[in-house]
Amino acid sequence: MPENCDPIIEVRDLYISFYTYAGVVKAIEGVSFTVCRGETYCLVGETGCGKSVTSKALTRLIQAPGRIEKGRVIYYPKPGHPIDITSLDEGELRKIRGGEIAYIIQDPSAALDPLYTIGFHIAETMNAHGLVRSIREGFREAVKYLNKALMPDPEERVKSYPHELSGGMKQRGVIATSLSTKPKVLVADEPTTAVDVTIQAQIMKLLKELKSGEGLTLILITHNMGLVAEMCDRVAVMYAGRIVEEGAVLDIFKSPKHPYTRALLNAVINPLVRTSKLESIPGTVPDLIRPPRGCRFHPRCPFSSEICLERPPSFLIGQDHKVACWLYKDEAQGVEG
Amino acid sequence: MSSEEREVYEKKVLDKLVDLLLDNLTHAIDRVRPGWKVRNEARVEEFKLTLYALNRSPPGLLGLSLVSFFILIALIGPYIAPFSYDMPLVLCDRNAYLAPPGTIITVKEGSLCSEVYGIKPGNYTLILGADDYGRDLFSRILYGARTSFVVAVLVMAIGPLIGITLGLISGYRGGSVDETIMRITDVFIAFPGLILAIAFSAVLPGRVSEILDMFPPLASATLSLFALKPEHVGALANLVSVIIALWIVWWPGYTRIVRGMVLSARENVYVEAARAIGVPTHSILFRHILPNILGPILVFLTLDFGGVILVEAGLSFLGLGAVPPIADWGRIVYDGAEYFPRAWWLVFFPGLATLLAVLGFNLIGDSLRDVLDPKTRRRIEFRVKGKR
Repeated sequence: MPENCDPIIEVRDLYISFYTYAGVVKAIEGVSFTVCRGETYCLVGETGCGKSVTSKALTRLIQAPGRIEKGRVIYYPKPGHPIDITSLDEGELRKIRGGEIAYIIQDPSAALDPLYTIGFHIAETMNAHGLVRSIREGFREAVKYLNKALMPDPEERVKSYPHELSGGMKQRGVIATSLSTKPKVLVADEPTTAVDVTIQAQIMKLLKELKSGEGLTLILITHNMGLVAEMCDRVAVMYAGRIVEEGAVLDIFKSPKHPYTRALLNAVINPLVRTSKLESIPGTVPDLIRPPRGCRFHPRCPFSSEICLERPPSFLIGQDHKVACWLYKDEAQGVEG
Repeated sequence: MSSEEREVYEKKVLDKLVDLLLDNLTHAIDRVRPGWKVRNEARVEEFKLTLYALNRSPPGLLGLSLVSFFILIALIGPYIAPFSYDMPLVLCDRNAYLAPPGTIITVKEGSLCSEVYGIKPGNYTLILGADDYGRDLFSRILYGARTSFVVAVLVMAIGPLIGITLGLISGYRGGSVDETIMRITDVFIAFPGLILAIAFSAVLPGRVSEILDMFPPLASATLSLFALKPEHVGALANLVSVIIALWIVWWPGYTRIVRGMVLSARENVYVEAARAIGVPTHSILFRHILPNILGPILVFLTLDFGGVILVEAGLSFLGLGAVPPIADWGRIVYDGAEYFPRAWWLVFFPGLATLLAVLGFNLIGDSLRDVLDPKTRRRIEFRVKGKR
């Protein structure tokens, strides 16, 4: 954790399983991290590593057959006022969902109900949180938020149905909906996967501006390393349901420690390092119904040894840089988990 | 383009009628609420297209006319009927006894008929004949339409409502709630609906008549709903029992199909998005899930309307529900069966009326499926739009 971090969300030792017919999928095992107020925190990893599940667990959006087995999610609306989201009742939780912690869902065309206009979505959200007395009143307010989300021609667009809008406009509509409740935390789950690159740039710029303008804390979930380098303050790299490495963005890109992080950075164009050839990671993502013993990366790891059959704790190496790998046992300054 | 195709592209007379009706209607609403027309233009256009599409489906049109005719008769039938449903015309003319269709009866000046029952002296033609009391079959069929219609409307207003609500909850909540509701539903489905309805309509009347006695306004309101004479208040209990019995058995089908549709609809990302943004559960159910599955439900409702009419007639035929002298299609057939085949008209005409009403609803339901299904709908739409 960086110095003078004022935590806003704390995840402690989270375990999430999905009870499917094929068996119990241990999607998240022992994930812990802290998000500081006002920063941009990134969760990075390949598809199926548990980024989205983790983000949904922040407001307990995990639905059957999924279940939070163990662990705590603690939200601090004000410094020193912890709220345990994992034990909150549904009514209280609903106020936090959207009201305090809002989401931007990855596919904007799917996130909008085709039967309602953009204005209705915003109005409904505001109405659900008691910010306006009626949907009609919310409709008038909606223009303001569409303006904030830089929607072109908001007075007209507020009356548009999702099918009448382009992908970028829909994404702006979704962002405006999330902003309408003035949340403190914005969780953006791959906000740019469904839109093309020019829109991507615009959306990311918008998020950056909103973050500084509204004093938001941004949790960004992505597999796009370029985005991470550009946006994030701190990064957590996830692999097969665990955080393997966490640290400030520059540390991760300049000196990646975990073999998986290194392999991952070799597999994409690293904006900070000159790469001559991109490499792929041998092997495949493990089956999470029967995950490998100990370190989940060891079957694919070139440095694996006997000790890897035991689960590695998080070794603290250097200021705010943690890595869950036995290779750093000796140089560790501390151990967590 | 062949001449045949050209024909399809052109607006039909019926389309023009739709235009005329809707244009005037929107104009009228616009006058009361200025700006309405502009705001709802797209919606009106879409509705017009739905009607155009219906215009291009002959079975749908047939169904629509049958159903409109049935509803019209149900509404005005009791007022246009030449005789009251319980008027024993044998008192006027002996020829009225089991009179075949087309019999002419004479009501004499100063007879019991004209003095007591107030029927004007003169000659009357019994278009569809009469039964063993000399009650005019035509009038009774007109009154019977009202009975069927009121029962069907009341059953369809409550039964599916229960079913849809339970289905929504079951599908959305899942887990033990789902399991409980669905097992109860299974019990109801496993038991033949008609048998259950028979059991309930046999058991309920006693209790129902007590309740009706306790609330006279309720009884008189129900009487006027069925267009019955005040002296027949005793017959109400059985009719109401049938309605209640049908409420009890009419929901499981809806719970089933709605649950199934909710299971797929709740996986839509916008439902998850609504949850993530803190929209309350009831709003998610009624704003985001129900409207998105309404098409198939609407079709099912229309088809089912005919089903209720049929089951109600069936129950009456079995001697439950309407009791004499209440006019009810099923009951007329039951009473007339005694004289079959001599007095075939007593069975044939009410049977035909039931058939046509049920057929109408089935045809409409069937073509609504095509019209409401986006795939077939667009095809029809392009055909209409082609030549505009």
